[in-house]
Amino acid sequence: MTSSEAPNRPRPVRAGAGEPVEVRMTVNGTPVTVHVPARVTLADVLRDQLGLTGTHVGCEHGVCGMCTVLVDGEAARACLLFAVQLDQAEVVTVEGLGRPDELHPLQESFGRNHALQCGFCTPGFLMSSYDLLTHQPGVREQDLPQELSGVICRCTGYRNIVTAVREAQQAHPGGIPAPGNCARRALAGRGTGRSVVDEEPTGAPAEQSAAKAEIVLPEGEPTIAVDVATEVGVGQDQVWAVFDDVHRLARCLPGAELTEELGEDYYAGRARVSVGPIKLAFKGVAHIAEHDRAARRMRVLAQGRDTGGAQTQADILLRTEPAAEGGTRLHAEAKVYLTGRIAQFGRALAGDVSRHMFEQFAAAVSETATTGDAPQGRVKAPGAFRLLLRSLLGRLRRRSR
Amino acid sequence: MKAAPFAYVRPSSLPEAVAELGGTGGGGKVIAGGQSLTPVLAMRLARPDTLIDINAVDGLDRFARRDGFLEIGATVRQRRVEHDPASAAVPLLGMALPWVGHRELRSRGTVCGSLAHADPAAELPAVACCLAAEIVATGPGGQRRIPAREFFSGAMTTALEPDEILTAVRLPVARAGEGFGFAEIARRHGDFALAGVVVAVRVGGEAVLTGFGVSDRPVTTDVSGVLDEAVRAACGDRGRLAEELGERLAPVADELVDTEGDAHASGDYRRRLFRVLAGRELAKAYHRAHEEKA
Repeated sequence: MTSSEAPNRPRPVRAGAGEPVEVRMTVNGTPVTVHVPARVTLADVLRDQLGLTGTHVGCEHGVCGMCTVLVDGEAARACLLFAVQLDQAEVVTVEGLGRPDELHPLQESFGRNHALQCGFCTPGFLMSSYDLLTHQPGVREQDLPQELSGVICRCTGYRNIVTAVREAQQAHPGGIPAPGNCARRALAGRGTGRSVVDEEPTGAPAEQSAAKAEIVLPEGEPTIAVDVATEVGVGQDQVWAVFDDVHRLARCLPGAELTEELGEDYYAGRARVSVGPIKLAFKGVAHIAEHDRAARRMRVLAQGRDTGGAQTQADILLRTEPAAEGGTRLHAEAKVYLTGRIAQFGRALAGDVSRHMFEQFAAAVSETATTGDAPQGRVKAPGAFRLLLRSLLGRLRRRSR
Repeated sequence: MKAAPFAYVRPSSLPEAVAELGGTGGGGKVIAGGQSLTPVLAMRLARPDTLIDINAVDGLDRFARRDGFLEIGATVRQRRVEHDPASAAVPLLGMALPWVGHRELRSRGTVCGSLAHADPAAELPAVACCLAAEIVATGPGGQRRIPAREFFSGAMTTALEPDEILTAVRLPVARAGEGFGFAEIARRHGDFALAGVVVAVRVGGEAVLTGFGVSDRPVTTDVSGVLDEAVRAACGDRGRLAEELGERLAPVADELVDTEGDAHASGDYRRRLFRVLAGRELAKAYHRAHEEKA
């Protein structure tokens, strides 16, 4: 009567003190490979190497429960596990629980019941209560305080936390839904780039160099989805005259600079974005995957990495159609995937910034198409205060409507 | 706080693991779940030069009933034991495991790891002592079985040789006419016990009481005489038995509870806790044993 439910066993390994060990695991549905010394905890790998800073670190010796994550489906303290022990394991962090536009029922319930307070313990409570409701869906209300005692809330907001868990349980008597945000995506943190390698089952390049490499976009939900249209006062042919010339096109992109032609529609470039105190300088590759003047469609895939470890990937589709009075309606759909510190930047705000960047781009295309000349030098990188202010004002106006 | 650097080995067979541990000349430490060891490393109370991770070792995840024992291998997680129907064969496991840390710790922590760590206030070493379990150690010379009551030699100190790995524990399966009890008082659920008791009563046989959190190791004593006296004095009154036992256990508590007390509780308070808990649990176990028999 031996039970056989053992998860995949880790691979044999030997490493000297301080020597990096290869760890392969699946984090929120994404296979990752990291190289870390044996004394580095899972909590630190999640935060520093993979940019998943939702896992909070409090006491670092297993008392407070802030760092609770799911390991092979069961809640565990990420600070009490050396990452090397997680070889072949499946990890789910709070980031995997719900999507920005569709939070997990537990997250909804925490919000609704004011169970968040300062928010520091929230990831721990969410993961611990998810584990509880998964394994004991019928847990009695009077047992909840004890069952949730593995996580400490220093705001002492327990009453609301217990209510939130109870409510989520009652709303889902058949069992709490599975994590809703686990899919293949790029993960990169602030740690040394050397120790981060995204697993490459589809041949995604791990490290960006000027060399041409196939751009493989992550699966799953993009961080930001932009779908915007704007009208410019020039004809379609004039717009496409800009699109046809990649150098002119690049100069219309806010903050962008084309540095090298790699052949076969691949281009190396740089992009600078600064919003408030956040300044990012990406180096990367863009690929014109589709350029169909007849169908008025152009698709660009881009991938870049910031020196701070932030990584961005984008799938941009530009379309044009005739507009009134001989003008052109310029339509852009973009799926942007962000990781690292930039991903922490409010997603809604990042979306607004992207939209404004597109508006700037459209204006520059219009100007270039009209004058036949690209703007003097590059289009200025999106200015910090102006952009932020416009974004915020835009948001405020929308709210007051 | 971060652990000091250490070398790391994860062998795939037991002979390799034993050789690796032997090769460290006493500077190595075995890790399975690490839920007790990692905090010690994080606080740098221990700085082993090598960690031997036994999670890839074949056969250590054995969890099966054999020859009247439930055998639990070194990498079997506490949470698995807690929820596996096979554990019903040793009722004390079901009583004690919910008290071991929190769910989040039990999903990684192992039963054997808790024994090897030998915290005097831990639940599982006391269960092993009360049941007279056998602890299986594997070293360069092969395997040996150590009676649990001889295994714990002091606070966090065991009979394990520096080159031996605790590979399994064998817990006797409960038989008809046996009853068990477990209780502990901690300041918060999941914390270590201020005082805890584990009892086993066999109809017409001995009654065993093990205390934990009250000395530098689990302390076990035969309380058959006390139980007989109390049963006679209670005259079949169920409610009175625990009270009678509580009174009669005072000298036992004085003998077993060997602590000066600390910031959490004085020695006298722990003695009182121990006596009351032991009385209640012995009474419960006595009734369970007789109901089992019926």
